[in-house]
Amino acid sequence: MTNVTRRAFFKTFFSAGAALAVSGGVSQPRQAEAAIKGQIIGVCLYVPSLGKASDFVELMNTNARGDWTVHPLTGSLTDRYFKTKDLYEGARGTANTFVGAVDPGSFAVVHEAIVNSGGSFHYITYEERNRVTFSAQL
Amino acid sequence: MSNFIALPKGVTEEVFARAIKEYRALLGDDRVRTDPASLQSYMKIMYPESMDLHIPSAAMYPRTVKEIQAILAIANKYKTPLWTVSTGKNFGYGSAAPATRGQIVIDLKTMDKIIHVDEELGYCLVEPGVTYYDIQKYIKKHKMNLMISVPSPSAIVGPVGNSLDRGAGYTPYGDHFLFSCGMEVVMANGDVVRTGMGDVPNATSWQATKWGNGPYVDGIFTQSNYGIVTKMGFWLMKTPPPGGYLPFLMKFPKVEMLPEIIKTIMPLRLSQVIPNACVVVNSLLEAACYCNYDENGKPTSRDSYYRGKGILPPQVIQQIIDKCNIGAWNFYAALYGSREQVALAWKYVSGSFKAKFGNQVEIVTAKEAKDDPNFEFRRQMMMGGRSLQEFTYYNWRGGGGSVWFAPVAAARPSESYKQVKIATEVLNKYGFDYLAEYIVGWREMHHIIDLLYDRNQPEEMERAYKCYDELLKVFARHGYGIYRTNPAFMEKAANTFGPEMRKIHRTLKKALDPNNILAPGKSGINLDIPL
Repeated sequence: MTNVTRRAFFKTFFSAGAALAVSGGVSQPRQAEAAIKGQIIGVCLYVPSLGKASDFVELMNTNARGDWTVHPLTGSLTDRYFKTKDLYEGARGTANTFVGAVDPGSFAVVHEAIVNSGGSFHYITYEERNRVTFSAQL
Repeated sequence: MSNFIALPKGVTEEVFARAIKEYRALLGDDRVRTDPASLQSYMKIMYPESMDLHIPSAAMYPRTVKEIQAILAIANKYKTPLWTVSTGKNFGYGSAAPATRGQIVIDLKTMDKIIHVDEELGYCLVEPGVTYYDIQKYIKKHKMNLMISVPSPSAIVGPVGNSLDRGAGYTPYGDHFLFSCGMEVVMANGDVVRTGMGDVPNATSWQATKWGNGPYVDGIFTQSNYGIVTKMGFWLMKTPPPGGYLPFLMKFPKVEMLPEIIKTIMPLRLSQVIPNACVVVNSLLEAACYCNYDENGKPTSRDSYYRGKGILPPQVIQQIIDKCNIGAWNFYAALYGSREQVALAWKYVSGSFKAKFGNQVEIVTAKEAKDDPNFEFRRQMMMGGRSLQEFTYYNWRGGGGSVWFAPVAAARPSESYKQVKIATEVLNKYGFDYLAEYIVGWREMHHIIDLLYDRNQPEEMERAYKCYDELLKVFARHGYGIYRTNPAFMEKAANTFGPEMRKIHRTLKKALDPNNILAPGKSGINLDIPL
């Protein structure tokens, strides 16, 4: 089980990402009040050291109910760049929400993978020095 | 309430709206974007200044030279400044955000044609949106025996942008502008010029020789704002045959050994026994390169070693060296040629270092390195491969702030160590550690210092700004210029080179772009700001 702090963090993060994605809102880092339930087809990237897949699935379905798939980013940063690119391009037309919780090194390549695929961001937030959350437009 | 997130200096909302209308008539709505979401990717900066100073007003995506000519006509009409990016990365040297608020980003990633790759003579001609990875794929697909020199972000950046900013790589062709050959440039007035032999009708040697007739002009289009480069040629190396590539690492235990290391490297470098732009990496940068969050149980950031305040104490640095099994200095280089040539060169190289340092040097080749990620990263870089391992640096301190301070040193033993001492003193004064590498070129060394900080802490960001500012001043006082910088410091960096050079830059700007529409502020060249 995740602790309360982590739970609160995930709740904010996923609710914000989902609500913004579904509503088409944009840009500045901010918290959303609530997710629009039942409309989300989401893809979530995460770095395993920041949480377990089961944590992500549980919390996403609690706070931003929808059809979520989670993908761990592992391996070299080169692997992560190409995996993100593949997932982002694959999500186009099949999902409406693309979010993630990663470390700054991974975020550097995730950001470029999404931008190089023609994507942009609803928000990018440094939750802590070593934890970045984001929601990308699809 | 404005309809735009920013406006160019001196341009009213009404005038800007008219300009955007004309741009859209030319390119269509999809390729002229003013909405915040579309502009978000140009607002990720890593240097220590507020993003507010660098917000673009719009982004445009031309596909052809004709479209760029038409854009320039509109820009001249409405005086809307244009900030051109190729693939738009540049990380610690500035990302894709414009030097001043309100410029329109011309994003050339939509011009991504590989026009020609010549296997016989080893060169290519490409558009600005082509990445190194695109070229690598092309070479592989066509089974060509060629390789291209890449900078450290390798796959995800492109040769046009990198070379125009005079970036460096790690192969024998590591001085990327030096190994470029021929440009096509759209001037502010819409003229299209091809440099070198390119303007000869039906030119047959545009990428085969750098020099044309009269003054050589390619240099004025690098680190500048005198034109928009739409094609550029690059020389490619022949790939060594099997057994003809030998990357290696030498680890040295003490910081004070640097002058002797440089003294041993340079004769081998000047004689081309070591032919590549090799690197000498300090302990903390080498340690930071291991900070991949995937390696469970291994240290993943600076905090893994030290949670105290201020800079890392010497004993902690020594613990890091011991724990990571790295050197105080780590020298990466490679040998190229036939198997026999490499074997012979290796005798000279390893013999020189063993004779000088005895058991004080640890020599590592691929055999000993096995799957070490840092060795693999360097192995890839020195053969024009792809690896994004360098981005693990951003996990070291966290917070997304990184600015590369990059003075140049003459490749003399005394100079190398002097710069280390000066840099360490200034960085430590502001509470930052010294993380750096020397890229050893032909007769100079690019001293790449990564000033890592937390952008989300205003106090830390301010400290990082002041630190960079003082580094610039102190190094200039000692006779050192920097080879490249980010938009926050372009004006100040230009000043360190003296008023006469600034006058020449300005005279050229007035002659070639009198309306100041091309990237005002790039390298401190901006007709809006009096000298």
